[in-house]
Amino acid sequence: MTILYNCGTVLLMAGVLFFLSGTVGLLRFPDIYSRLHALTKADNVGLGCIVFGLALQSGSIAVTIKLILIWLLVLIASSASCHLIARSAMQKNIQPWTRS
Amino acid sequence: MNWLHTFFALILLLTIGAGVIRILKGPTAADRMMTAQLFGTCGVAILLLLSTGMNNLVLLDIALVFALLATLATLTFIRRTWQGSGKRKHDYPL
Amino acid sequence: MQNNSCSCKNNICSHPVQQTLLRFSLFSFLWYTLAGPDKTSWIIGIPAVAFATVLSQMLAPSSRLRISPVGALHFIPFFLRQSFLGGIDVMRRALSFRQLLNPGLVSYTTQLPEGSARIFFVNTISLLPGTLSAELHGNQVTIHTLDLSLSIWANIQRLEYHVAALMCISSPGKENI
Repeated sequence: MTILYNCGTVLLMAGVLFFLSGTVGLLRFPDIYSRLHALTKADNVGLGCIVFGLALQSGSIAVTIKLILIWLLVLIASSASCHLIARSAMQKNIQPWTRS
Repeated sequence: MNWLHTFFALILLLTIGAGVIRILKGPTAADRMMTAQLFGTCGVAILLLLSTGMNNLVLLDIALVFALLATLATLTFIRRTWQGSGKRKHDYPL
Repeated sequence: MQNNSCSCKNNICSHPVQQTLLRFSLFSFLWYTLAGPDKTSWIIGIPAVAFATVLSQMLAPSSRLRISPVGALHFIPFFLRQSFLGGIDVMRRALSFRQLLNPGLVSYTTQLPEGSARIFFVNTISLLPGTLSAELHGNQVTIHTLDLSLSIWANIQRLEYHVAALMCISSPGKENI
């Protein structure tokens, strides 16, 4: 029981770390496309870590299923809106930042 | 009240606070909208953490509604505000 | 589209009646998860589930949407692993002191048929490490990548193969695995 709980705590910490780095990326990255990368990927993985961490700590199947459902909803939604934002930016001819 | 979960939720709240810088700087409206999306995901995570920390399962339902509404806001913004109505070349079947 | 007949032998739910029953039980499960064990909630729940089943059959008929259970079993671990790697990748680039970005645009021609398979493919690209689907014109996907030196093509091809297996499409890129 306590082992599961501690594993959950580690996952929660990882999740918070992912959220932090997502926000750092959102502030640091040079253009809209790379910021989208930071936002979509880091936040979804962060939420996934938090969901699985809480699922381990709750020890209840009903709560676990509901948590995973919320995560799936956020996953679908954010990947769709990420694609929409990138596509509209392309149509508006916003050029991606390049190294040179 | 579980202090660990509340502490994690507090860090996430600070993350949201840092996101405000991106809203202030912009430069395009979509960058600002992306921060709104961050608020949505972070808000869901905070609610989930609090639901365990305060042992209140109702917060899970609130998180579900929160996730739905944040998405709708982004989609509506892209389709109606930023993209304009007549410029679409082909439809995106959602 | 008709040529893409199901190649999976282990697809257990190809009959329409079975499909409807499967969807009905899935939606019932969803309702149970959302509404909890209270029995009176089924007064609203049963009509809602029936309505959702009919609507989903109208919008995505079983002839057009086939999901192979075996494909799903392979897809879920692949997806979880890849999106976790994607998160790690972004974290590394965001937190390092040096600027690690080398972004650029890559074009990819997908062989997946039009419809749900292609949409699903385009949406999952954004969750893979370093890639983001920026535009879709017919079968041409424009991909924005954080680092041009990543092996983007191999990754995308693997994803395409997994999506084809998930959606029961006779797979276009099997020899790449």
